[in-house]
Amino acid sequence: MGVIDIMDAKGTSSLGNPNPNILTPHPSKSSVAIRFLRVLSLVRHTASSSPSSRACRIRRAACSCMAYSAGPRRAWSRALLRKLVRRRRKPPRRDLPRPAAIIRRRRPVGGDRLEVALRRVVPGGAGMEYCRLLEEAADYVKCLVMQVRLMQSIVDFESHVHSVNKRSEIDPGDRN
Amino acid sequence: MEPPRSSGVGIDNSGEYSPEIAETLRFEEEIQSLIHPSSFDGSAAPTGGGSFTALLGLPANQAVELLHDSGAREPLASRIRVGGHPVHRPFHLPLDCSSAFPSNATLVDRAARFSVFAAEGSPASSSGRLKAEPQDSDSPPLDPIPTGPAKRKDTGRSKCDVRLSLSFKSQAKATAKKSKNAEENTDGDKLPYVHVRARRGQATDNHSLAERARREKINVRMKLLQELVPGCSKITGTALVLDEIINHVQTLQRQVEFLSMRLAAVNPRIDFSSLDSYLSAECGPVTVRNGPGGVVVDPSLWPTDATAEATRRLLVPQFWHIDLVPPQLQPQQSLTTWERDGAAHSQLLPNPTTSLFLYDPANSGNANVPHLTAKLKTAEDRALNL
Repeated sequence: MGVIDIMDAKGTSSLGNPNPNILTPHPSKSSVAIRFLRVLSLVRHTASSSPSSRACRIRRAACSCMAYSAGPRRAWSRALLRKLVRRRRKPPRRDLPRPAAIIRRRRPVGGDRLEVALRRVVPGGAGMEYCRLLEEAADYVKCLVMQVRLMQSIVDFESHVHSVNKRSEIDPGDRN
Repeated sequence: MEPPRSSGVGIDNSGEYSPEIAETLRFEEEIQSLIHPSSFDGSAAPTGGGSFTALLGLPANQAVELLHDSGAREPLASRIRVGGHPVHRPFHLPLDCSSAFPSNATLVDRAARFSVFAAEGSPASSSGRLKAEPQDSDSPPLDPIPTGPAKRKDTGRSKCDVRLSLSFKSQAKATAKKSKNAEENTDGDKLPYVHVRARRGQATDNHSLAERARREKINVRMKLLQELVPGCSKITGTALVLDEIINHVQTLQRQVEFLSMRLAAVNPRIDFSSLDSYLSAECGPVTVRNGPGGVVVDPSLWPTDATAEATRRLLVPQFWHIDLVPPQLQPQQSLTTWERDGAAHSQLLPNPTTSLFLYDPANSGNANVPHLTAKLKTAEDRALNL
């Protein structure tokens, strides 16, 4: 039918979810790709100073694309965006209310070293229960993998294009 | 000092006892539920006690102590089991056991309540138990009144000591066999608990139930994470798995940074307009397939980022024609690298001959811009309907 379906199928099948209820299905990869490409082209075409600042911006763009694609239901995506927004020093966006925060069953205790490390790694992981933290971590890993694949493919594509470009430069038969 | 009868936790002298005692009381009621079917009348108490010892694996003297209590409770139990008709048997209870009444009442209440939970098999008995509740609340108040509160305290405390040791012992010895026994018993009886199987030595306390449910949830999520992270399924032990997960996430984050550096470092000479020509040279007439119109105008998933999206859209309109070719143009070669990824392997090494977006620049040249915009609009409509 479409790329989207294939990508969705691939997304869910590659994970082998026993519990599809926990990990919400992401919107298709193409939406993330489109968004990211847009941002990427935007970043590239605005006059930027140094590769490092551009790299920072691109990284933030990648994170924001990831977060957008994950949707507002994920705590980590909201936290990530909050962090990015704070860095951009823009007025903060509306946060969707977190129902989990209202009903706090357990206070997150920083006892286990591993748990603390996990909280540090996953964005927004500080204020969650352990159970929720694991959920968010799984979703975050999924999104990260998707994002990494996307960026890797872009890089490869562009490197390939670059090599092709070089070849076509050498070869004067330009097929423009 | 009447203990609250309708409360969930029947504590003799509230405030004196720790939650372990509440657990022990619940443990008692669990035992009680076990002896209910086995003990039909008061004479069956020894057999009930016998099954007790068999189940608990306790020395006989402690079981005998229990028997006192159970003996005290027996009439109540039998009374309940008769059904809706509370037969008022004479309470032949030694005076020292009378202090057990308040706890008995509460225990019975709780038993009734818990059996109400699991009352799918036999509504009759459950209704009987329900009816027994108010009866129980009526009858015991008569008895403990004559006993002085001090005496009740002492005997109650001794009894609670017994129960404490019992519970601790059984918790310590919560072997699979016992749990199986308990499960068999509860299965064989009449009303297996609906949601949770109360294991031996693990009380049916609300707290422990919730804790157990929570632990199950955590285990399920850990399994999920294990499956997500490659190479984690072989590792046993939560700590190592968590370590691996954290490592994996950090690796992925580092990869994102690295790739963004690479993307930034790519010579900006290669912008998308020139990419067109290269791709036309390289790949020939292929299209971007974006599915049934899902992507052109990616309607912001969130209501909040509309402004950012709008600005981006305004700034980069020309790239749309390049990036997004609507599906009708050429449906034949419609592979993207992701499809290839999914087909080939999990690691990403796209075939460089197929581009990320397979362009059809011949069609998406400038002549076709209005055509494309029209197509974009239709795709947008479809996307909004999605």
